[in-house]
Amino acid sequence: MPVPLESKSLKKIYRNKGRSTTAINDFTFSVKEKGVFSLLGRNGSGKTTFVKVSTTQLTPDDGYVRVFGKDVVEDEKELRHMISLVPQESRPFPHMTPYEHVYYFQKMNGKAREESKERAESVIGLLGMHDFARTECVNLSGGQKQLTMVAMALSLDTQIYFLDEPTIGLDIITRKGVWNAINKYRDAGKTILLTTHYLDEAAFLSDEIGIVSHGNFIKQGTLDELRSGLEYDTRVAMRGRVDHRAFEPYGKVHSDERGTVLFTSQEYVEKILSDSSVRKERIEIGPIGLDDVFISLVGEDIEVDEN
Amino acid sequence: MIRELYRTITSLTAMNGFIPLWRRPIALIAVISTPFSFLFFIYLFGGPSKILIGAIGGVLFTIVNASTMLQTDLLFYKLDLKFQQVVASTPINPLAYMFGLATGNIVFTLPGLAIFMAIIVYESHIGTLQILSVIGTLATTWVIFSMFSFLVSTRVREMRDIWPISVMFSIIFGVVPPIYYSISALPGPVQYVAYVVPTTWAAILLKGIVIQDFAGVALPALVFVIEMLCVLAFTSRFSDWRLNRS
Ligand SMILES: Nc1ncnc2c1ncn2[C@@H]1O[C@H](COP(=O)(O)OP(=O)(O)OP(=O)(O)O)[C@@H](O)[C@H]1O
Ligand SMILES: [Mg+2]
Repeated sequence: MPVPLESKSLKKIYRNKGRSTTAINDFTFSVKEKGVFSLLGRNGSGKTTFVKVSTTQLTPDDGYVRVFGKDVVEDEKELRHMISLVPQESRPFPHMTPYEHVYYFQKMNGKAREESKERAESVIGLLGMHDFARTECVNLSGGQKQLTMVAMALSLDTQIYFLDEPTIGLDIITRKGVWNAINKYRDAGKTILLTTHYLDEAAFLSDEIGIVSHGNFIKQGTLDELRSGLEYDTRVAMRGRVDHRAFEPYGKVHSDERGTVLFTSQEYVEKILSDSSVRKERIEIGPIGLDDVFISLVGEDIEVDEN
Repeated sequence: MIRELYRTITSLTAMNGFIPLWRRPIALIAVISTPFSFLFFIYLFGGPSKILIGAIGGVLFTIVNASTMLQTDLLFYKLDLKFQQVVASTPINPLAYMFGLATGNIVFTLPGLAIFMAIIVYESHIGTLQILSVIGTLATTWVIFSMFSFLVSTRVREMRDIWPISVMFSIIFGVVPPIYYSISALPGPVQYVAYVVPTTWAAILLKGIVIQDFAGVALPALVFVIEMLCVLAFTSRFSDWRLNRS
Protein backbone atom coordinates (compact mmCIF):
# COMPACT_ATOMS: atom_id res chain seq x y z
CA MET A 1 0.00 0.00 0.00
CA PRO A 2 1.63 3.26 -1.09
CA VAL A 3 1.92 6.01 1.51
CA PRO A 4 -0.42 9.02 1.28
CA LEU A 5 2.31 11.49 0.39
CA GLU A 6 5.96 11.19 -0.40
CA SER A 7 8.40 13.88 -1.44
CA LYS A 8 11.97 13.07 -2.37
CA SER A 9 14.71 15.64 -2.99
CA LEU A 10 12.08 17.99 -4.34
CA LYS A 11 13.39 21.20 -5.84
CA LYS A 12 11.42 24.05 -7.33
CA ILE A 13 12.84 27.21 -8.79
CA TYR A 14 10.70 30.10 -10.02
CA ARG A 15 12.07 31.83 -13.06
CA ASN A 16 10.67 35.25 -13.78
CA LYS A 17 12.08 37.75 -16.22
CA GLY A 18 15.62 36.54 -15.77
CA ARG A 19 15.43 36.28 -11.99
CA SER A 20 15.28 32.95 -10.33
CA THR A 21 14.09 32.15 -6.82
CA THR A 22 14.63 28.77 -5.24
CA ALA A 23 11.34 28.28 -3.46
CA ILE A 24 12.03 24.67 -2.57
CA ASN A 25 15.59 23.53 -2.20
CA ASP A 26 15.09 20.07 -0.74
CA PHE A 27 11.87 18.63 0.58
CA THR A 28 12.38 15.03 1.56
CA PHE A 29 9.72 13.53 3.78
CA SER A 30 6.77 11.25 3.74
CA VAL A 31 3.36 11.12 5.30
CA LYS A 32 3.13 7.45 6.19
CA GLU A 33 -0.33 7.24 7.68
CA LYS A 34 -3.64 8.69 6.62
CA GLY A 35 -4.79 11.59 8.77
CA VAL A 36 -3.91 15.23 9.22
CA PHE A 37 -0.41 16.36 8.36
CA SER A 38 0.41 20.01 8.99
CA LEU A 39 3.16 21.78 7.16
CA LEU A 40 4.53 24.64 9.22
CA GLY A 41 7.08 27.22 8.28
CA ARG A 42 7.66 30.91 8.17
CA ASN A 43 6.43 33.11 5.33
CA GLY A 44 8.18 32.27 2.11
CA SER A 45 9.50 28.93 3.29
CA GLY A 46 7.95 27.02 0.38
CA LYS A 47 4.67 25.62 1.72
CA THR A 48 2.40 26.98 -1.01
CA THR A 49 4.90 25.99 -3.66
CA PHE A 50 4.81 22.47 -2.28
CA VAL A 51 1.02 22.46 -2.41
CA LYS A 52 1.14 23.67 -6.01
CA VAL A 53 3.56 20.94 -7.01
CA SER A 54 1.51 18.30 -5.20
CA THR A 55 -1.69 19.37 -6.91
CA THR A 56 -0.12 19.26 -10.40
CA GLN A 57 -0.03 23.03 -10.85
CA LEU A 58 3.74 23.26 -11.01
CA THR A 59 6.25 20.68 -12.13
CA PRO A 60 9.32 19.91 -10.01
CA ASP A 61 12.75 21.00 -11.19
CA ASP A 62 14.22 17.98 -9.48
CA GLY A 63 13.07 15.11 -7.30
CA TYR A 64 9.48 13.94 -7.11
CA VAL A 65 6.25 14.04 -5.20
CA ARG A 66 3.95 11.03 -5.09
CA VAL A 67 0.45 10.97 -3.73
CA PHE A 68 -0.71 7.46 -2.88
CA GLY A 69 2.03 6.22 -5.16
CA LYS A 70 1.02 8.42 -8.10
CA ASP A 71 3.68 10.72 -9.44
CA VAL A 72 2.60 14.34 -9.80
CA VAL A 73 4.07 14.50 -13.29
CA GLU A 74 3.78 11.04 -14.77
CA ASP A 75 0.40 10.13 -13.33
CA GLU A 76 -1.09 13.62 -13.24
CA LYS A 77 -4.36 12.56 -14.90
CA GLU A 78 -5.10 9.82 -12.39
CA LEU A 79 -3.89 11.96 -9.56
CA ARG A 80 -6.45 14.66 -10.23
CA HIS A 81 -9.20 12.21 -9.35
CA MET A 82 -7.65 11.81 -5.92
CA ILE A 83 -6.93 15.36 -4.82
CA SER A 84 -8.82 18.44 -3.81
CA LEU A 85 -7.50 21.92 -3.15
CA VAL A 86 -8.08 25.17 -1.31
CA PRO A 87 -5.47 27.52 -2.81
CA GLN A 88 -3.97 30.15 -0.55
CA GLU A 89 -5.78 33.48 -0.87
CA SER A 90 -8.44 32.16 -3.18
CA ARG A 91 -11.79 33.91 -3.37
CA PRO A 92 -15.28 32.97 -4.53
CA PHE A 93 -17.14 34.48 -7.49
CA PRO A 94 -18.63 37.77 -6.30
CA HIS A 95 -22.04 37.33 -7.92
CA MET A 96 -22.69 33.78 -6.73
CA THR A 97 -23.84 32.41 -3.40
CA PRO A 98 -21.86 29.87 -1.37
CA TYR A 99 -24.53 27.27 -2.09
CA GLU A 100 -24.21 27.88 -5.82
CA HIS A 101 -20.46 27.53 -5.59
CA VAL A 102 -20.68 24.06 -4.16
CA TYR A 103 -23.60 23.02 -6.35
CA TYR A 104 -22.03 24.11 -9.63
CA PHE A 105 -18.63 22.84 -8.62
CA GLN A 106 -20.21 19.42 -8.18
CA LYS A 107 -21.92 19.62 -11.55
CA MET A 108 -18.72 20.83 -13.14
CA ASN A 109 -17.15 17.65 -11.87
CA GLY A 110 -19.77 15.61 -13.65
CA LYS A 111 -22.28 15.03 -10.87
CA ALA A 112 -26.01 14.91 -11.59
CA ARG A 113 -28.33 17.61 -10.32
CA GLU A 114 -29.74 15.66 -7.37
CA GLU A 115 -26.38 14.50 -6.17
CA SER A 116 -24.94 17.99 -6.53
CA LYS A 117 -27.76 19.40 -4.44
CA GLU A 118 -27.29 16.80 -1.74
CA ARG A 119 -23.54 17.36 -1.58
CA ALA A 120 -24.02 21.11 -1.42
CA GLU A 121 -26.57 20.87 1.38
CA SER A 122 -24.46 18.48 3.39
CA VAL A 123 -21.24 20.49 3.15
CA ILE A 124 -23.07 23.71 3.97
CA GLY A 125 -24.49 21.98 7.02
CA LEU A 126 -21.16 20.48 8.00
CA LEU A 127 -19.49 23.89 8.00
CA GLY A 128 -22.42 25.67 9.62
CA MET A 129 -22.96 27.98 6.67
CA HIS A 130 -26.76 27.94 6.56
CA ASP A 131 -27.17 31.55 7.60
CA PHE A 132 -25.39 32.95 4.61
CA ALA A 133 -25.42 30.09 2.10
CA ARG A 134 -27.83 31.94 -0.16
CA THR A 135 -26.31 35.39 -0.01
CA GLU A 136 -24.19 36.63 -2.90
CA CYS A 137 -20.53 36.44 -1.97
CA VAL A 138 -20.01 40.10 -2.74
CA ASN A 139 -22.07 40.78 0.37
CA LEU A 140 -20.25 38.34 2.62
CA SER A 141 -17.48 38.89 5.12
CA GLY A 142 -13.92 37.80 4.44
CA GLY A 143 -14.27 34.75 6.65
CA GLN A 144 -17.54 33.70 5.05
CA LYS A 145 -15.90 33.87 1.64
CA GLN A 146 -12.97 31.83 2.88
CA LEU A 147 -15.39 29.24 4.19
CA THR A 148 -16.98 29.06 0.74
CA MET A 149 -13.64 28.00 -0.72
CA VAL A 150 -13.25 25.35 1.96
CA ALA A 151 -16.77 24.12 1.27
CA MET A 152 -16.00 23.65 -2.42
CA ALA A 153 -12.89 21.63 -1.69
CA LEU A 154 -14.55 19.48 0.95
CA SER A 155 -17.49 18.79 -1.34
CA LEU A 156 -15.29 16.61 -3.53
CA ASP A 157 -14.99 13.02 -2.50
CA THR A 158 -11.25 12.57 -2.88
CA GLN A 159 -8.58 10.76 -0.91
CA ILE A 160 -6.44 13.73 0.00
CA TYR A 161 -7.27 17.38 0.64
CA PHE A 162 -4.67 20.09 0.27
CA LEU A 163 -5.78 23.00 2.41
CA ASP A 164 -3.44 25.99 2.12
CA GLU A 165 -4.22 28.25 5.07
CA PRO A 166 -7.90 27.32 5.03
CA THR A 167 -8.74 29.03 8.31
CA ILE A 168 -7.09 32.36 7.66
CA GLY A 169 -9.31 35.19 8.79
CA LEU A 170 -11.85 32.98 10.52
CA ASP A 171 -12.99 33.76 14.04
CA ILE A 172 -12.23 31.16 16.68
CA ILE A 173 -15.71 29.64 16.66
CA THR A 174 -15.82 29.34 12.89
CA ARG A 175 -12.31 27.91 12.94
CA LYS A 176 -13.44 25.27 15.37
CA GLY A 177 -16.23 24.44 12.95
CA VAL A 178 -13.64 23.85 10.24
CA TRP A 179 -11.54 21.78 12.65
CA ASN A 180 -14.61 19.70 13.31
CA ALA A 181 -15.09 19.12 9.61
CA ILE A 182 -11.44 18.24 9.14
CA ASN A 183 -11.66 15.79 12.02
CA LYS A 184 -14.70 14.15 10.46
CA TYR A 185 -12.86 13.70 7.19
CA ARG A 186 -9.90 12.26 9.03
CA ASP A 187 -12.14 9.81 10.86
CA ALA A 188 -13.61 8.81 7.53
CA GLY A 189 -10.15 7.71 6.40
CA LYS A 190 -9.15 10.80 4.43
CA THR A 191 -5.76 12.48 4.41
CA ILE A 192 -5.47 16.21 4.88
CA LEU A 193 -2.39 18.25 4.17
CA LEU A 194 -2.79 21.49 6.02
CA THR A 195 -0.70 24.61 6.08
CA THR A 196 -1.38 27.14 8.78
CA HIS A 197 0.23 29.84 10.83
CA TYR A 198 -2.07 29.13 13.76
CA LEU A 199 0.02 26.81 15.84
CA ASP A 200 -2.79 25.95 18.24
CA GLU A 201 -4.68 24.71 15.22
CA ALA A 202 -1.79 22.55 14.06
CA ALA A 203 -1.29 21.21 17.57
CA PHE A 204 -4.95 20.38 17.94
CA LEU A 205 -5.56 18.81 14.54
CA SER A 206 -2.37 17.17 13.44
CA ASP A 207 -1.50 13.54 13.59
CA GLU A 208 1.90 14.61 12.43
CA ILE A 209 3.66 17.92 11.82
CA GLY A 210 6.34 18.81 9.32
CA ILE A 211 8.51 21.87 9.69
CA VAL A 212 10.08 23.64 6.75
CA SER A 213 12.51 26.51 6.60
CA HIS A 214 14.01 28.41 3.68
CA GLY A 215 12.98 25.77 1.16
CA ASN A 216 14.21 22.84 3.22
CA PHE A 217 12.21 20.25 5.04
CA ILE A 218 13.82 20.14 8.44
CA LYS A 219 11.84 17.96 10.78
CA GLN A 220 8.73 15.89 11.18
CA GLY A 221 6.96 14.07 13.96
CA THR A 222 4.02 14.05 16.31
CA LEU A 223 3.81 16.98 18.67
CA ASP A 224 5.32 14.85 21.43
CA GLU A 225 8.15 13.71 19.22
CA LEU A 226 8.94 17.27 18.22
CA ARG A 227 8.85 18.36 21.83
CA SER A 228 11.12 15.57 22.96
CA GLY A 229 13.63 16.62 20.36
CA LEU A 230 14.24 19.78 22.36
CA GLU A 231 16.58 20.08 25.27
CA TYR A 232 13.80 21.23 27.61
CA ASP A 233 10.32 19.97 28.25
CA THR A 234 8.83 22.58 30.50
CA ARG A 235 7.95 26.19 30.12
CA VAL A 236 7.76 28.50 33.10
CA ALA A 237 6.27 31.88 32.39
CA MET A 238 6.60 34.61 34.97
CA ARG A 239 4.84 37.91 34.88
CA GLY A 240 6.27 41.05 36.38
CA ARG A 241 9.79 41.95 37.32
CA VAL A 242 12.09 39.02 37.71
CA ASP A 243 15.74 38.73 38.45
CA HIS A 244 16.43 36.45 35.62
CA ARG A 245 19.97 35.55 36.58
CA ALA A 246 18.44 33.53 39.42
CA PHE A 247 16.94 31.17 36.86
CA GLU A 248 19.89 30.72 34.57
CA PRO A 249 21.10 27.55 36.27
CA TYR A 250 17.82 25.81 35.42
CA GLY A 251 17.77 26.31 31.70
CA LYS A 252 17.29 28.93 29.05
CA VAL A 253 15.85 32.26 30.13
CA HIS A 254 14.23 34.77 27.87
CA SER A 255 13.03 38.14 29.12
CA ASP A 256 11.19 41.02 27.59
CA GLU A 257 8.97 43.81 28.83
CA ARG A 258 6.03 41.46 29.32
CA GLY A 259 7.88 39.10 31.58
CA THR A 260 10.25 36.21 31.59
CA VAL A 261 10.06 32.76 30.12
CA LEU A 262 12.25 29.95 31.36
CA PHE A 263 12.68 26.76 29.39
CA THR A 264 13.67 24.02 31.74
CA SER A 265 13.08 20.40 32.67
CA GLN A 266 10.32 18.96 34.73
CA GLU A 267 12.75 17.89 37.47
CA TYR A 268 13.59 21.48 38.39
CA VAL A 269 10.06 22.70 38.74
CA GLU A 270 9.75 22.17 42.48
CA LYS A 271 13.05 23.79 43.13
CA ILE A 272 12.12 26.78 41.04
CA LEU A 273 8.86 27.16 42.89
CA SER A 274 10.46 26.94 46.31
CA ASP A 275 13.41 29.17 45.46
CA SER A 276 11.46 31.61 43.57
CA SER A 277 11.41 35.23 44.46
CA VAL A 278 8.36 35.54 42.27
CA ARG A 279 4.86 35.26 43.68
CA LYS A 280 3.23 31.93 42.88
CA GLU A 281 0.15 33.40 41.28
CA ARG A 282 2.39 35.11 38.78
CA ILE A 283 3.92 31.88 37.59
CA GLU A 284 2.49 29.65 34.92
CA ILE A 285 4.01 26.24 34.35
CA GLY A 286 3.28 23.89 31.51
CA PRO A 287 4.79 21.63 28.92
CA ILE A 288 6.51 23.48 26.12
CA GLY A 289 4.16 24.18 23.28
CA LEU A 290 4.36 23.94 19.54
CA ASP A 291 5.23 27.64 19.47
CA ASP A 292 8.39 26.94 21.42
CA VAL A 293 9.28 24.04 19.18
CA PHE A 294 8.63 26.12 16.11
CA ILE A 295 10.66 29.07 17.30
CA SER A 296 13.54 26.90 18.38
CA LEU A 297 13.60 25.12 15.01
CA VAL A 298 13.11 27.97 12.59
CA GLY A 299 13.32 31.18 14.48
CA GLU A 300 16.16 31.61 16.95
CA ASP A 301 16.45 35.36 17.21
CA ILE A 302 13.26 36.60 15.71
CA GLU A 303 10.61 38.71 17.26
CA VAL A 304 7.39 36.77 17.26
CA ASP A 305 4.19 38.63 16.93
CA GLU A 306 1.55 37.92 19.56
CA ASN A 307 -1.07 37.24 16.89
CA MET B 1 -18.36 10.88 -20.64
CA ILE B 2 -20.46 13.09 -22.91
CA ARG B 3 -22.91 13.67 -20.10
CA GLU B 4 -20.13 14.72 -17.72
CA LEU B 5 -18.72 17.06 -20.33
CA TYR B 6 -22.16 18.56 -20.81
CA ARG B 7 -22.45 19.15 -17.07
CA THR B 8 -19.02 20.74 -16.92
CA ILE B 9 -19.81 23.14 -19.73
CA THR B 10 -23.32 24.07 -18.61
CA SER B 11 -22.28 24.75 -15.03
CA LEU B 12 -19.51 27.07 -16.20
CA THR B 13 -21.97 28.71 -18.58
CA ALA B 14 -24.24 29.39 -15.65
CA MET B 15 -21.38 30.76 -13.56
CA ASN B 16 -20.08 33.08 -16.24
CA GLY B 17 -23.33 33.81 -18.04
CA PHE B 18 -26.80 33.24 -16.71
CA ILE B 19 -26.13 33.92 -13.04
CA PRO B 20 -24.25 37.23 -13.47
CA LEU B 21 -26.67 38.30 -16.20
CA TRP B 22 -29.62 37.55 -13.96
CA ARG B 23 -28.11 39.48 -11.08
CA ARG B 24 -26.47 42.29 -13.09
CA PRO B 25 -28.56 42.80 -16.22
CA ILE B 26 -26.96 46.21 -16.60
CA ALA B 27 -23.89 44.49 -18.07
CA LEU B 28 -25.97 43.92 -21.20
CA ILE B 29 -25.84 47.60 -22.03
CA ALA B 30 -22.06 47.59 -22.24
CA VAL B 31 -21.97 44.60 -24.54
CA ILE B 32 -24.65 45.81 -26.91
CA SER B 33 -24.00 49.52 -27.07
CA THR B 34 -20.74 49.58 -29.07
CA PRO B 35 -21.92 47.63 -32.13
CA PHE B 36 -25.19 49.54 -32.13
CA SER B 37 -23.36 52.81 -32.17
CA PHE B 38 -21.50 51.56 -35.28
CA LEU B 39 -24.82 50.73 -36.87
CA PHE B 40 -26.11 54.15 -35.95
CA PHE B 41 -23.21 56.00 -37.57
CA ILE B 42 -23.33 53.86 -40.67
CA TYR B 43 -26.99 54.58 -41.04
CA LEU B 44 -26.36 58.27 -40.40
CA PHE B 45 -23.64 58.65 -43.03
CA GLY B 46 -24.51 55.91 -45.49
CA GLY B 47 -28.27 56.03 -45.41
CA PRO B 48 -30.74 53.13 -45.34
CA SER B 49 -28.87 51.25 -48.09
CA LYS B 50 -25.98 50.67 -45.72
CA ILE B 51 -28.04 49.23 -42.93
CA LEU B 52 -27.41 45.63 -44.01
CA ILE B 53 -23.66 46.03 -44.01
CA GLY B 54 -23.96 47.82 -40.68
CA ALA B 55 -25.83 44.88 -39.20
CA ILE B 56 -23.32 42.38 -40.57
CA GLY B 57 -20.57 44.44 -39.01
CA GLY B 58 -22.49 44.70 -35.78
CA VAL B 59 -23.05 40.99 -35.42
CA LEU B 60 -19.42 40.23 -36.18
CA PHE B 61 -18.04 42.90 -33.91
CA THR B 62 -20.25 41.72 -31.07
CA ILE B 63 -18.85 38.19 -31.29
CA VAL B 64 -15.24 39.24 -31.79
CA ASN B 65 -15.33 41.80 -29.03
CA ALA B 66 -17.06 39.56 -26.49
CA SER B 67 -14.69 36.66 -27.21
CA THR B 68 -11.68 38.94 -26.90
CA MET B 69 -12.94 40.38 -23.64
CA LEU B 70 -13.15 36.81 -22.38
CA GLN B 71 -9.44 37.25 -21.70
CA THR B 72 -10.28 39.54 -18.83
CA ASP B 73 -12.70 37.07 -17.26
CA LEU B 74 -10.27 34.21 -17.63
CA LEU B 75 -7.48 36.22 -16.06
CA PHE B 76 -9.69 37.35 -13.22
CA TYR B 77 -10.66 33.78 -12.41
CA LYS B 78 -7.08 32.66 -12.71
CA LEU B 79 -5.17 35.39 -10.89
CA ASP B 80 -7.60 37.13 -8.57
CA LEU B 81 -9.94 34.36 -7.55
CA LYS B 82 -7.45 31.51 -8.10
CA PHE B 83 -10.43 29.52 -9.26
CA GLN B 84 -8.45 28.15 -12.18
CA GLN B 85 -6.14 26.45 -9.68
CA VAL B 86 -9.10 24.78 -8.05
CA VAL B 87 -10.33 23.50 -11.41
CA ALA B 88 -6.89 22.59 -12.71
CA SER B 89 -6.41 20.19 -9.82
CA THR B 90 -9.54 18.26 -10.79
CA PRO B 91 -9.97 16.03 -13.86
CA ILE B 92 -11.89 18.80 -15.66
CA ASN B 93 -10.64 19.27 -19.20
CA PRO B 94 -9.09 22.70 -19.87
CA LEU B 95 -10.90 23.14 -23.16
CA ALA B 96 -14.21 22.25 -21.51
CA TYR B 97 -13.43 24.88 -18.90
CA MET B 98 -12.69 27.41 -21.62
CA PHE B 99 -15.80 26.58 -23.67
CA GLY B 100 -18.01 26.64 -20.62
CA LEU B 101 -16.86 30.14 -19.72
CA ALA B 102 -16.92 31.25 -23.37
CA THR B 103 -20.51 30.08 -23.72
CA GLY B 104 -21.41 31.97 -20.58
CA ASN B 105 -19.76 35.00 -22.06
CA ILE B 106 -21.80 34.77 -25.25
CA VAL B 107 -25.03 34.69 -23.25
CA PHE B 108 -24.64 38.42 -22.69
CA THR B 109 -24.52 39.07 -26.41
CA LEU B 110 -27.61 37.06 -27.35
CA PRO B 111 -30.12 39.92 -27.24
CA GLY B 112 -27.87 42.07 -29.44
CA LEU B 113 -27.17 39.21 -31.83
CA ALA B 114 -30.88 38.51 -32.15
CA ILE B 115 -31.62 42.09 -33.15
CA PHE B 116 -28.79 42.19 -35.71
CA MET B 117 -29.85 38.86 -37.15
CA ALA B 118 -33.41 40.10 -37.48
CA ILE B 119 -32.18 43.15 -39.39
CA ILE B 120 -29.98 40.99 -41.64
CA VAL B 121 -32.78 38.58 -42.45
CA TYR B 122 -35.29 41.36 -42.99
CA GLU B 123 -33.00 43.43 -45.20
CA SER B 124 -31.58 40.61 -47.31
CA HIS B 125 -34.50 38.18 -47.46
CA ILE B 126 -32.13 35.23 -47.04
CA GLY B 127 -33.45 31.69 -46.61
CA THR B 128 -32.86 28.99 -44.02
CA LEU B 129 -29.68 27.68 -45.60
CA GLN B 130 -28.05 31.11 -45.60
CA ILE B 131 -29.23 31.81 -42.09
CA LEU B 132 -27.60 28.59 -40.99
CA SER B 133 -24.43 29.50 -42.88
CA VAL B 134 -24.35 32.88 -41.17
CA ILE B 135 -24.77 31.22 -37.79
CA GLY B 136 -22.07 28.69 -38.67
CA THR B 137 -19.67 31.47 -39.63
CA LEU B 138 -20.38 33.34 -36.42
CA ALA B 139 -19.95 30.18 -34.34
CA THR B 140 -16.58 29.52 -35.98
CA THR B 141 -15.56 33.11 -35.28
CA TRP B 142 -16.52 32.64 -31.67
CA VAL B 143 -14.50 29.41 -31.39
CA ILE B 144 -11.41 31.02 -32.94
CA PHE B 145 -11.40 34.09 -30.73
CA SER B 146 -12.38 32.31 -27.55
CA MET B 147 -9.55 29.86 -27.98
CA PHE B 148 -7.18 32.64 -28.72
CA SER B 149 -8.30 34.38 -25.54
CA PHE B 150 -7.68 31.22 -23.58
CA LEU B 151 -4.19 30.98 -25.03
CA VAL B 152 -3.48 34.58 -24.07
CA SER B 153 -4.91 34.16 -20.57
CA THR B 154 -2.68 31.21 -19.79
CA ARG B 155 0.35 33.28 -20.73
CA VAL B 156 -0.29 36.51 -18.90
CA ARG B 157 1.03 36.73 -15.35
CA GLU B 158 -0.47 39.93 -14.06
CA MET B 159 -3.97 41.29 -14.03
CA ARG B 160 -2.92 44.79 -14.99
CA ASP B 161 -1.23 43.50 -18.17
CA ILE B 162 -4.49 42.24 -19.56
CA TRP B 163 -6.26 45.59 -20.02
CA PRO B 164 -3.93 46.96 -22.69
CA ILE B 165 -3.56 43.53 -24.27
CA SER B 166 -7.28 42.91 -24.61
CA VAL B 167 -7.96 46.41 -25.91
CA MET B 168 -5.18 45.99 -28.48
CA PHE B 169 -6.58 42.66 -29.66
CA SER B 170 -10.06 44.05 -29.72
CA ILE B 171 -8.90 46.74 -32.15
CA ILE B 172 -6.81 44.41 -34.30
CA PHE B 173 -9.57 41.83 -34.48
CA GLY B 174 -12.66 43.96 -34.34
CA VAL B 175 -11.87 47.33 -35.90
CA VAL B 176 -9.02 46.93 -38.40
CA PRO B 177 -10.57 44.14 -40.51
CA PRO B 178 -12.57 45.38 -43.47
CA ILE B 179 -16.06 44.77 -42.23
CA TYR B 180 -17.60 48.06 -43.22
CA TYR B 181 -15.42 48.77 -46.20
CA SER B 182 -13.42 46.95 -48.84
CA ILE B 183 -9.99 45.64 -47.97
CA SER B 184 -8.42 47.71 -50.78
CA ALA B 185 -9.37 50.86 -48.87
CA LEU B 186 -6.77 50.03 -46.24
CA PRO B 187 -3.21 51.38 -46.49
CA GLY B 188 -0.76 48.83 -47.96
CA PRO B 189 0.89 47.26 -44.92
CA VAL B 190 -2.37 47.17 -42.95
CA GLN B 191 -3.86 45.11 -45.77
CA TYR B 192 -1.43 42.31 -44.98
CA VAL B 193 -2.42 42.38 -41.34
CA ALA B 194 -6.04 42.35 -42.38
CA TYR B 195 -5.52 39.27 -44.54
CA VAL B 196 -4.19 37.33 -41.57
CA VAL B 197 -6.91 38.30 -39.13
CA PRO B 198 -9.77 35.77 -39.17
CA THR B 199 -12.34 38.54 -38.85
CA THR B 200 -11.55 39.59 -42.42
CA TRP B 201 -12.45 36.17 -43.74
CA ALA B 202 -15.52 36.05 -41.57
CA ALA B 203 -16.60 39.41 -43.00
CA ILE B 204 -15.96 38.33 -46.58
CA LEU B 205 -17.85 35.11 -45.94
CA LEU B 206 -20.81 36.81 -44.33
CA LYS B 207 -21.11 39.34 -47.12
CA GLY B 208 -20.86 36.53 -49.69
CA ILE B 209 -23.55 34.51 -47.98
CA VAL B 210 -25.89 37.42 -47.61
CA ILE B 211 -25.59 38.59 -51.21
CA GLN B 212 -25.82 34.94 -52.24
CA ASP B 213 -22.51 34.83 -54.05
CA PHE B 214 -21.84 31.15 -53.41
CA ALA B 215 -18.92 30.79 -55.78
CA GLY B 216 -17.25 33.71 -54.02
CA VAL B 217 -17.42 32.15 -50.54
CA ALA B 218 -15.58 28.90 -51.28
CA LEU B 219 -12.07 30.30 -50.84
CA PRO B 220 -12.77 32.44 -47.78
CA ALA B 221 -14.60 29.51 -46.19
CA LEU B 222 -11.57 27.32 -46.73
CA VAL B 223 -9.15 29.89 -45.35
CA PHE B 224 -11.43 30.46 -42.40
CA VAL B 225 -11.66 26.79 -41.48
CA ILE B 226 -7.89 26.39 -41.86
CA GLU B 227 -7.42 29.35 -39.53
CA MET B 228 -9.68 27.75 -36.97
CA LEU B 229 -7.71 24.52 -37.12
CA CYS B 230 -4.46 26.45 -36.74
CA VAL B 231 -5.73 28.29 -33.69
CA LEU B 232 -6.94 25.01 -32.22
CA ALA B 233 -3.57 23.36 -32.78
CA PHE B 234 -1.74 26.40 -31.52
CA THR B 235 -3.87 26.64 -28.40
CA SER B 236 -3.48 23.01 -27.48
CA ARG B 237 0.25 23.22 -28.07
CA PHE B 238 1.07 26.51 -26.38
CA SER B 239 -1.53 27.20 -23.77
CA ASP B 240 -0.44 26.29 -20.30
CA TRP B 241 -3.35 26.61 -17.98
CA ARG B 242 -1.47 25.37 -14.99
CA LEU B 243 1.16 27.59 -13.46
CA ASN B 244 4.37 26.29 -14.91
CA ARG B 245 5.16 29.24 -17.06
CA SER B 246 2.98 31.83 -15.50
N1 LIG C 1 5.18 33.06 -8.66
C1 LIG C 1 6.36 33.25 -8.04
N2 LIG C 1 7.41 33.77 -8.71
C2 LIG C 1 8.59 33.95 -8.11
N3 LIG C 1 8.85 33.65 -6.83
C3 LIG C 1 7.86 33.12 -6.10
C4 LIG C 1 6.56 32.89 -6.67
N4 LIG C 1 5.78 32.36 -5.71
C5 LIG C 1 6.55 32.26 -4.61
N5 LIG C 1 7.79 32.71 -4.83
C6 LIG C 1 8.91 32.72 -3.87
O1 LIG C 1 9.11 31.39 -3.44
C7 LIG C 1 9.34 31.32 -2.06
C8 LIG C 1 8.36 30.39 -1.41
O2 LIG C 1 7.06 30.90 -1.54
P1 LIG C 1 5.78 30.15 -1.00
O3 LIG C 1 4.60 30.88 -1.51
O4 LIG C 1 5.88 28.70 -1.35
O5 LIG C 1 5.92 30.33 0.58
P2 LIG C 1 4.94 29.94 1.78
O6 LIG C 1 5.69 29.04 2.67
O7 LIG C 1 3.66 29.43 1.26
O8 LIG C 1 4.74 31.34 2.50
P3 LIG C 1 3.45 31.96 3.25
O9 LIG C 1 3.44 31.36 4.61
O10 LIG C 1 3.76 33.40 3.31
O11 LIG C 1 2.26 31.62 2.45
C9 LIG C 1 9.28 32.76 -1.56
O12 LIG C 1 10.60 33.20 -1.43
C10 LIG C 1 8.57 33.51 -2.63
O13 LIG C 1 9.06 34.81 -2.73
MG1 LIG D 1 1.76 30.07 1.38
